[in-house]
Amino acid sequence: MTARSLSCRELIEYLAAYLDDELPHEERGAFERHLSVCPYCRDYLATYRATIHLGRRALAAEAEVLAEVPRDLLSAILAARAQG
Amino acid sequence: MTRAGRDPEPTAESEQSLLARLRAGDEAAFAELVRENGSRLLAVARRLLRSEEDARDAVQDGFLQAFRAISRFEGDARLSTWLHRIVINASLMKLRTRRRKPEASIDELLPRFYADGHRIDPGPPWRTEIPDPVESRELRELVRASIDRLPDIYRSVLLLRDIEELSTEETAAVLDVKADTVKVRLHRARQALRALLAPHLTAPA
Repeated sequence: MTARSLSCRELIEYLAAYLDDELPHEERGAFERHLSVCPYCRDYLATYRATIHLGRRALAAEAEVLAEVPRDLLSAILAARAQG
Repeated sequence: MTRAGRDPEPTAESEQSLLARLRAGDEAAFAELVRENGSRLLAVARRLLRSEEDARDAVQDGFLQAFRAISRFEGDARLSTWLHRIVINASLMKLRTRRRKPEASIDELLPRFYADGHRIDPGPPWRTEIPDPVESRELRELVRASIDRLPDIYRSVLLLRDIEELSTEETAAVLDVKADTVKVRLHRARQALRALLAPHLTAPA
């Protein structure tokens, strides 16, 4: 039996499932065999991962800017609650 | 939902005590709940809504919903996690009412292939040394602006899965779509974001 081979198109289609460890055993093997011979897909995987990382780091940094809840928002929430 | 757990964690005992005071209608307890969680939740709403006014409205709506529902809070999740979900829902509700125009296509940002399955124009490789967005304001703003360019249906999924760290199932539930739809949109959103970032991150020629 010949091992299944993947095209670049299929590899990129399976990328998210690969990273989530959701590919069935046979597809995972085919995925990794393709990666081992295709620098373009290795590069795509690396930059796809980097994209996720950059998004996380960029927005995590933004969230840390605000030390405490704005006073007027706190007042507005408590006033709205008091009004029922 | 690990993001909710990044703040210093109150002990189970102090959370139980706060919960008891909230259920008893203690005014100071409501203020404490907002003070402890408000800034983090405002950041969540800002990320989803991109408008300060809408974000504040969503946080206010979320807290009011939480106050009304506090008697039904069963304590199987942390209070902060429960509030996180409520504010995400309030933000998405606002996003839905605000959306007026049809979503733009992101097809031109997705990889293209020849009939034999090879990629057309893979583009140059990225730099090996990319700064940490926490350290680089320029990169942080580029990433933020690029995420903001994604159509809402993709941006929401990307933010909920990759940034707010909801599971596929949780994301599907708050967006009222199937889990498979979440997976497809997340993959397309990451690919589109990658394409938007690529021209700024390639290695010098």
